Amino acid sequence: MKNIHTYISFFLIVLMSCYTTGQNNEVTTDFSLETTQTEFEVGNLIELKFSTSREVTPLLYCSSSYGSTLITPTYKNKQLSYKIPSSVSNKIGVVRWKLIFEKTSLSGTFIIKPKEEVSSIETYIGPPSIEAGGKDYTMLVVIPTDSLDNPLSENTLVQAKHQFLNSEINDEIYTKNLIAYKNIYSQKESGRILVSSESLETNSKEFSITVFPAIPIDFKISASRPHDYADGNQITTFNTSTIIDKQNNIVSDGTYVTFFITNEKGNVLKTEGSTINGIATSKMIHPDYETQWSIKAYVDGIAESDVITLNYKQVIKDFDVVFSENNREIIIGPLQSFMKQIIPDGMQVKLLIYKNNSLFKTETKTSFEGLVTFYLKPDVYTKDTYTIVVKTAGIEKTLNSKTLW
Amino acid sequence: MVNLNKNIVRSLLITSYVLVIAVIISGVSALFVYLNTGADRSSMLHTEIKKVDQYIPEVKWSLINNEGRLMDDQTLKTLENDYLDAWYVKLIAYKTNKTEGVKDYYTDNARKNIYDLIELNKDAEITIESTTLNHNPTLEFFSEDGQLVVLTDKDVIEYKRVFKDEKLVLETTEKSTYKIIFLLEDGFWRIRHFVKESSENYQVENLNTTKNNLNIKGINYYPKETPWNMFGDTFLESIISEDFKIIKDSGLNSVRVFVQYDDFGKADVDKEKLKKLRQTLDAAEENGLKVVVTLFDFYGDYSVLNWTLNMRHAKTIVSELKDHKAVIAWDIKNEPNLDFDSRGKVTVIAWLNNMINLVKSTDPIHPVTIGWSNTQSASLLKNKVDFISFHYYEDLEDLDTSIKSIKKEAPNKSLVLGEFGLSSYRGFWNPFGNSDSDQAKYHKEAQEIIAENDLQFMSWTLYDFAKVPKEVVGRLPWRKNAQKHYGFINDNGTKKEAFKFISGQ
Repeated sequence: MKNIHTYISFFLIVLMSCYTTGQNNEVTTDFSLETTQTEFEVGNLIELKFSTSREVTPLLYCSSSYGSTLITPTYKNKQLSYKIPSSVSNKIGVVRWKLIFEKTSLSGTFIIKPKEEVSSIETYIGPPSIEAGGKDYTMLVVIPTDSLDNPLSENTLVQAKHQFLNSEINDEIYTKNLIAYKNIYSQKESGRILVSSESLETNSKEFSITVFPAIPIDFKISASRPHDYADGNQITTFNTSTIIDKQNNIVSDGTYVTFFITNEKGNVLKTEGSTINGIATSKMIHPDYETQWSIKAYVDGIAESDVITLNYKQVIKDFDVVFSENNREIIIGPLQSFMKQIIPDGMQVKLLIYKNNSLFKTETKTSFEGLVTFYLKPDVYTKDTYTIVVKTAGIEKTLNSKTLW
Repeated sequence: MVNLNKNIVRSLLITSYVLVIAVIISGVSALFVYLNTGADRSSMLHTEIKKVDQYIPEVKWSLINNEGRLMDDQTLKTLENDYLDAWYVKLIAYKTNKTEGVKDYYTDNARKNIYDLIELNKDAEITIESTTLNHNPTLEFFSEDGQLVVLTDKDVIEYKRVFKDEKLVLETTEKSTYKIIFLLEDGFWRIRHFVKESSENYQVENLNTTKNNLNIKGINYYPKETPWNMFGDTFLESIISEDFKIIKDSGLNSVRVFVQYDDFGKADVDKEKLKKLRQTLDAAEENGLKVVVTLFDFYGDYSVLNWTLNMRHAKTIVSELKDHKAVIAWDIKNEPNLDFDSRGKVTVIAWLNNMINLVKSTDPIHPVTIGWSNTQSASLLKNKVDFISFHYYEDLEDLDTSIKSIKKEAPNKSLVLGEFGLSSYRGFWNPFGNSDSDQAKYHKEAQEIIAENDLQFMSWTLYDFAKVPKEVVGRLPWRKNAQKHYGFINDNGTKKEAFKFISGQ
């Protein structure tokens, strides 16, 4: 029975809805839009008016760029008036509306246009640094917006201005897809580009772009030293020429230069410096024996220098070796430099002790006031015959069959 | 006496002291233990990525041919993600009139516009349930420093349901085009400007398939051992193939099978299950049977924000199987009218309407129907479905009248009696239930009515089941036991009397 009831009521509903749909067509004609304007300026009061013969106040659905809402009308003298709320009328874009009255199908759209004024120029610029040479560029993107934070309409003129050295350039660009953009290319010189933009007599603030020099090209190096003796004490200073890029811009400070020093034995020494005003400086202590250095510098993976060679002369010509205390105390020296002056402290002396023709021990000391004293302890060097070799400043002296007791 | 009292007081004091100390110590130690349980070392780096699909409308990028910087796939993917998230948080914001999440996807100035509208809607008690179904973005511009993007999203299909004072006042579908400026802030692509360029009412042309002369004589099918869990671990193609042979030999020409929404992995359709469904179709093809695939079973949410997930589910299955020769029709949803009370008729109908549009746009060839659970609902959406199917478990006497009235309401549609049957359960819970011969008599009569009214049919069901999951008819034993005995073949594998009338011949 229950089923039959729901059944019947269902049919009644269907019938009723048919009936009301039939009526709706007439109802629709009961409302007609009186507002003819379909374009409004943003921020202005927008009111949609409908004339009606019925005293009802149906809701108006309205959907803007950011979202939708419902509006309640005011009814007066057979006229319905819908005031579009400011959260809708303050944003540009197409607004779709629909009158909600039973099954009425009265709907439409209107457009909210941006104001013809610019209150702020949203500027985005990047990258903030580019390379000199005319190939690299930065991009200026401008969104002129009105006082209600709406982007201006298509084809709004924007002046994109930039200054570099003696040139001041003013480009005319137009907004498209809500934005206007301009690529600003570097010139040959490094330096700083100042950028700004203007639209409808409103100016943006100043932006600056750093134009860094391009990558360095090959350069020269030089060396300076107090004397050409291999005294193991003085310092040789290496300098690069002013390192520049291919447009003659001095490379950025801090460009890292590595000097490779190769001596006669093929050993490599390395020293580094970074540039200030294009010149990198680096130092290396003199060798303590006669040799020839050949030096080449690199900006890693980018540029290299020529090769220079330096000769270092022998300073110590000869030295004495004196044995005492049962041949256990060995005094070497005095070690004398090129003017017979006592060599500065710290000259390395090596003692190689052989026993039965095989190396037994090595002792190393540095000079103090021109002298080096070794003491061969009885605990280590037992009573026996040893061959002793003294090495310093590239000179070698062999003392055969010394008996220690 | 005084002494005794003193002792009592003393012992009480001491025990209470001990208790207090014990409580304090256990409290401190619990705190100490808590403080020592730091984050699990394996989770320290947050290396695992957990992403749950919440909103996946169709997004079709037009060819990337933008001004400015070259766009790479990685950035485009991030942009798409953030863009869809921006829509999602906005949809939720308008549904709940709360602002959570909006600030992550809209810049300071842009979010103000959304907050204003929410404020307005909140005061007027307006809520908007909505979703977007399609996006067709075109990348217009990508700035050289990779920080600004302009895109045009063409023909965004938006479905909205507008409520005032919790009453539905409007249901609308719109097609709009937007221009959007994004800025990359804090690693998010945030919306800076959002401008609607055009908007119109959107209505899907109803494509009725020409294939209306189906001749469905079939049966609803679940395997004997695994009813309502057909595509589980115990899936065996051989069993299904044997059953299909029995069905074919009995003179029937089709089966109806069910895809359960959760079981199939929701939006992210389980490939294994899909493979098993395909194997089922293969088996049907081998045995000369056609298959009606029910796309949603055991699903009852319908909420607008989940539409995109449901659509992805249906689209994956339909596009995967639409070319299979065994498919004869898509049944959108099993018995959706049962959810009218709990979810609202409008909601359910809107969901079905949208789902039909989707299935038809994915597969324009195969006819579409809805498995209504009764005759009263059968004519709903009659213009959208290609044929009407309804289930009937009531008294056979009324069937003829019901059919006549459906025919009157929808004269041009062919009718399929999608489920019918009688349980032959007679036992402890229903000592005076129907016998096997009652069941046979029922099917005989049913087939007579079917023949008289020139109906197509799919009976319920091939087998008696040993187990019926509680999700089907609940836990009540008299219901469960009844549900177990609708088969034409009993659990011993013997054909019941009704089997003679399985195909009506």
